[in-house]
Amino acid sequence: MNPQLNGIETIEGTYAFDIRTCNRTLNANRFFWNMIRADWRERYLADPEAVMTEAGLNDTEKELVRKEDWLGLVKHGVNFFVLEKFARVARKTNLEVYAIMRGESFEDFMKTRRVPDAR
Amino acid sequence: MAKIIGCIGTSHVPTIALAYDRGRQEDPAWKPLFDGYKPVAQWLKDKKADVLVFIYNDHATTFFFDLYPTFALGVGERFPIADEGAGLRNLPHIKGDVDFQAHIAESLVNDEFDLTIFQNKPIDHGCASPLPLLWDHEPDWPGSVVPITVNVLQYPLPTPRRCYKLGKALRRAIESYPKDLNVVVVGTGGLSHQIHGERTGFNNEAWDLEFLELLQHNPEKLMEMTHADYVRLGGAESVEQIMWLAMRGAMPDTIRKVHQNYYLATTTAMTVVLFEGDDVAEPATTATAATTA
Repeated sequence: MNPQLNGIETIEGTYAFDIRTCNRTLNANRFFWNMIRADWRERYLADPEAVMTEAGLNDTEKELVRKEDWLGLVKHGVNFFVLEKFARVARKTNLEVYAIMRGESFEDFMKTRRVPDAR
Repeated sequence: MAKIIGCIGTSHVPTIALAYDRGRQEDPAWKPLFDGYKPVAQWLKDKKADVLVFIYNDHATTFFFDLYPTFALGVGERFPIADEGAGLRNLPHIKGDVDFQAHIAESLVNDEFDLTIFQNKPIDHGCASPLPLLWDHEPDWPGSVVPITVNVLQYPLPTPRRCYKLGKALRRAIESYPKDLNVVVVGTGGLSHQIHGERTGFNNEAWDLEFLELLQHNPEKLMEMTHADYVRLGGAESVEQIMWLAMRGAMPDTIRKVHQNYYLATTTAMTVVLFEGDDVAEPATTATAATTA
């Protein structure tokens, strides 16, 4: 146990990304990380199933990707910062992904912000 | 001899880069952010800063989790700015001074900071988002960068105290370089934000302002906090503010604030702060000493 994280489990809606998590989900994290490569993005868009299989995703992970289940992927153990690379490929802005993770429509989410026009 | 002439704390939100590239500098929603950097950019120009030592985090771009360094220093004459999924930005490659970078690495390792060295790698928004707000880049950057990455993504992260100690060692490294260079240490990240899970969108302005006070006057208190404390107070991703402690560690005990801009527009409290140490003479005029909050 990491003493620096004592009590983190009491903070709601928060999923600390640590070595143990990453060890379990390395393939999925690598799949998203590869989205920084133009050739990987193009191949994924052309044939998503083949690229997911090649990346070693299991059935649960494939389904989360197909559904673009951002919160589900975070809970599964995908780091947000590789997920945001996939958001670019899925043509979603970060703000749109944030709204989805909160279970809100984009417009409702932006109304909770101080400067809703800063997009 | 190289000397530290000041330090800058700045957010590194990717949206800043997006707004910059889209030319939103005069857009009413973005103007308060961009205007807040102008006094800092002017200060860097006036003081003839030669080098920015950038303490930032890689967002799993340069490095993947199959080999993710706790601390890493970049060496090279040029670093491309990374494609993070949306293609390349229209900015010149970041400039480096290999001799100075190598000296910093040699000094840190001999001072028991055994960091990783990277070369010939692209650098992501952790450094590249605020950089063009600090320095003009046409036709090219006016100085070089020493990129130092800190793992703030995959726990265990270095402790807040360890980051502060990195700053101390960094000061010794910079001041032992024989050539005359004006060096500014930049700490990046924060302030309050959370961008994963149902708690996404969390902010805490009261804590942000307290953090800035403690950073200046009582960093010891920030070193006593755990990562979980940072997550609770400022949101999960605000834990990256431990990198501001590395910046603080490179400064003298007493520092004065020259400029501050705090702009919480959507999800991250976008902040830029400029400090000078008490080892640097106070300027005759205080024209740039305006503090806006």
